This record gives sequence, structure tokens and C-alpha cells, in this order.
Amino acid sequence: MSAAVVGAALVLTMILAGACYRQWRRNQALQAQLQAAAADLEHLQLACSRLAPGGVVQQLVADGTRDAMVAAAEHKIATALFVDLVGFTELSERLEPAVLVRILNGYYQRMSDAIDEHRGQVGSYIGDGIVAYFGALQPNPWQCDDAVRAALATREAIHVYNVELDREGLPHLSIGVGIHRGLGLAGLVGSRERKEFSFLGSPVNLAARVQALTRLHQVDILVTEALRAELDKTILLTPMPAEHVKGFAEPVVTYAVKGTIESRPG
Amino acid sequence: MPFPTVRYFIPVPWLARAIVDLHPEFGLLMHLDHHQMDILALVVSQENSCRFCYAAIRMLLWAQGMSEARIQQIEQKLSQTNLAPKTTAAIAFGLRQSRVGPQGAREARQILRDAGFSDEEMKEVAFVVGITDFLNRLNTIPAIPAHALERMPEQFHMRLLRPLIKRIVEKHRFRGRAAPLERPLTLPYAALIKAYAGSPIALALGRTIEEMWESAILTRRCKLLMLAVIARGLGCQACATEIEEAVQREGLGEPALGQVLTHLDAPELDDTERVLVRFARETIWYEPAALQRRTRALRDRLSEPQLIESIGVASLANGLCRMGATVMDHS
Repeated sequence: MSAAVVGAALVLTMILAGACYRQWRRNQALQAQLQAAAADLEHLQLACSRLAPGGVVQQLVADGTRDAMVAAAEHKIATALFVDLVGFTELSERLEPAVLVRILNGYYQRMSDAIDEHRGQVGSYIGDGIVAYFGALQPNPWQCDDAVRAALATREAIHVYNVELDREGLPHLSIGVGIHRGLGLAGLVGSRERKEFSFLGSPVNLAARVQALTRLHQVDILVTEALRAELDKTILLTPMPAEHVKGFAEPVVTYAVKGTIESRPG
Repeated sequence: MPFPTVRYFIPVPWLARAIVDLHPEFGLLMHLDHHQMDILALVVSQENSCRFCYAAIRMLLWAQGMSEARIQQIEQKLSQTNLAPKTTAAIAFGLRQSRVGPQGAREARQILRDAGFSDEEMKEVAFVVGITDFLNRLNTIPAIPAHALERMPEQFHMRLLRPLIKRIVEKHRFRGRAAPLERPLTLPYAALIKAYAGSPIALALGRTIEEMWESAILTRRCKLLMLAVIARGLGCQACATEIEEAVQREGLGEPALGQVLTHLDAPELDDTERVLVRFARETIWYEPAALQRRTRALRDRLSEPQLIESIGVASLANGLCRMGATVMDHS
């Protein structure tokens, strides 16, 4: 009798152990699936973050694509920063495509890092130009200082990059930066199939025109009068002669950014 | 479930206490349902990318009997989830307040009104959202590890203990009772506290702000400057006016304060103030990795209690300004 009980208990224990083992194996498999799904999601987020500013990606994920596309545009006062490579056409004719792409990627990366570090969002790459916005995605009362400090960081970054290029015997890069602030339309724009976060309107157009004036004035960073009025007094500016630019009736007064009082040599 | 984090904040006693005192589940809500509160906190934590709070609330919902599938449905397909209309409206409000801040307060408030929330319920929703914003930053900025909490629902012994956890949670949660304000307040955010007069929330907020004010780890002026920068960054005019007056009473003149608020610097600031004024603005809209990187850079410039207190002050200011926008008629 007792042997039968022991036997039954043993069988029961073995069944239980078997069930526990099966459950454990199932848990392990589910855990592996979960980790794989999390890794996929991370890759997807990383891929998305290359296509649009982080905040936009988060908003799209949170709202679902349909709602976000309908809801996202609004008028805002924001600051537009336009960076362009000086002499790119000549450079592109001289260099092998593979070398040129490597140089360009290094340039884009360094410019984007400098802009990100100062709370700007890279809107898009236009040829060798980069357009970035400050205060377009989220309210930012310090957007003008941020934009100019970002421009100074791009100057520093290109200087460091040139040292690297020099070591490899490659030509130096130089940039022109134009910054302007004003009212524009911020949001997701584009076709049904492809949209991007953008800040549209005269601030971006004028920033691009002001950027072009850097060649004329032989300086690397120019800001408009509207921006100067909002800037910290520790940012050192030099007034430039007013110039007519395409698309704007009045001549545009600009200021070259020399640096900040903290960074002023001597 | 605030307790696992308290030990990280013990060097700053008022902050460790605030984590418990301000937690809505312990006798602060008189009108809002606790289940509604959990779902609201889950969605806001998801919006704020707070891995710790998100895991903690998920665990709490799971312990209370909500299935994993249901939790995932709430997280991923909010619009298709059969939640009560009032809960859906509270979530829409919470998302808007966390995403847009005080500038969207009027529209966010209208969402609640349209769903039939009374003024008192609305204030409690704003409190839950504001405190979730506070706790999210408090746990995200120092990167409090969330791994243990995330794994809990998968662990065999936790599954066994699930009914017990549910009982403990239910036993320790209780509704608040009306509590009159004992004395007039002259502290920062006095207007916000007054707006909650009659609710236990007013007493809890008053006690936390009073203890923060009395703490000598950072100077009062430094704390006020951080509060002022956050109020300015969020565009919360009612909070900004009150705090800016307090800064001036602490000896910083109007021109210098104007300079700080416009350019985040002024010659009158000392080194700690200069560093923390800039840090405060980083906490308003953040991406966790960048904010955590910038916070780590402060470790060489501040003592441990100073760093923890500055995280607490900035987190609290973010929560209170967002709360203030809803409960004070100014936006």
C-alpha cells in the first residue's frame, strides 16, 4: 500500500517537474522572442531617428501616423540656421566619388552633432547644405542664443575636421552659416507617401540668402538684425553693409559673429 | 509604487519624503478613481520616456490583475481600447500637458470639461499628470535602473505572490479626506497651493515646498532661479510672476534677473547658479540620453547632495508648472 502511495507520489512529482520544466522552457522561449522584438524596435527607432528629429518620431509613434499627419502644423516663431559648404562644386569635380562621399558624411555628422548639442533640429540636407531649426519643435525662449552658439560650434567642428583632413592629405572645407528668426509654419509636410518635419516661410528663405552673403562679406557666420536684437551681449558681432537679396524688397542688414566674450582671444 | 527609488534620494531628505508624500495613491485623491490614475500615469510615463516609472506602473497594473495583453492594448492602440470616455479624456489631457505644457492648457482643460469632469476632478487629473511629470524626471535624469522592475512579472515567485501584492496594494491605497489649509502661505507656488485649498493635495504640496525651501544644500536664490527658468521655458506666466518676485526678495535685482531669464547667464550669478540655471532648462523638453549625459557632466562640479537636490528642484518645478497651468486661470 505504502509502496503504491510512494509510487503515485513519485509519478505525480515527475509530472509536476515535467510541467514546470515545460513552463520554464516556454518562458525562456518567450523571453528570447521578447528580446528579439525589443532589438527590432530599437533598430526601427534608430532608423526613424535618421529620417526625422527625435521629437517628431516620438510624436508619430505616440499618435499613430494618421493623427499626427493631420494635426501637426502650426505657426511659430522659430530660428532657422542654414549651413553650406563653400566651394563644394569645385571640390566635387576634383575628388573621387568615394572620397567625396566620405568627406561629406564626416561634414554632415559634425554639423549635425553641433546643432543637436545646442538644441536645434536638423530639418533636411539640401545638396551640401543643411537647414536646422531652433524652437520649431518645442517652445524655446533661448532659441537665438542657441542658434548662434550652434553656429560657433560648427565653426569649431569644421576647424577640428580640417586638421583630420589635413593629416590625410585631403582638401580643407570651409562653411558659410546664415541665421534668421521669424514667424513660419512648423509641422509635417509632404506627399501622402513621404512627409518630413519642416519649418516653412520667410525666415528659412532669408537665412539661406544671408548664408549666401557670407561669400560677399568674406566671413563665415552672419545673423540678421532681427536675431541680433535678441542675442546675449556676450556674443561679439561686427556690422556688415546692408545688401539687397533676392526675394526681399528691403536691403538686409547683417552682422558677422566673431565669437563670445569667453572665447575671445587675448 | 514609489518606494524602490527612495534610497537614491536619501541625501536630500525633503526629496525622499516628497516621493512618498506626493504619491497620489496615498490619501491625496478625493474624487478620481485609482485605476484611472494608474492608466493616466502609465501613458504619461510612456510619453515622457521614463523607463523606471513605466515599468513600475506596468508592474502595478499587472499585480492588480490586468492581463499583459490588456496593458499592451492600452500602450499601443489607445484609440481602439475600450476605456471609459472619462479615462480616455484624462489620457488625452495628460498627453497634451506633457507634450505642449502650459501653452496648451486651455485646450487640454476643454478636453476634460467636454468629458464631464467637475472642477475638483479636473484639479486631481492635473495633479496626477503633474506629479507623474515630476516622478518621470526624477527617475529618468539620474537613470535609476528599471531592469528589476521590468522583469518582475516574468518571475515565477512574483507570479505566485501576485494575489498577495494585489492585496497589499489595495490595502495601502486610500482615498483622501477634505483638509483645510492651516495657514496662509508665502512660499513660491502659494497660488497653486491655494487653488487646491480644501484638498489633502494642498497640504502635501505645501509641506514639500516648505521643506525644499528650508533645505540648505542649495541656496534659496539658486533654487528660485531654477524655478524661474523652468517657468519661463514652459511659458507659465502665473508661476513665473510669483517666482520672479521671490527671486528679487532674495537679493537679485530686476535687470540681473531679466538677463538670466533671457540669456541663462548674468555676471551676478555664482558658479553653482550659473551651472544649474543651464541645467534647469535642459529638463523642460528632454531626450533621456542627452539629458543623462549632461547630468553626468555635472558630477565634477557639484557635491552629491547638490546634484540630487538640483534634480529634485528641476523635476518638481516641471511638474508644478504643468499642474499650475490647469488649475490657475491664466493661460
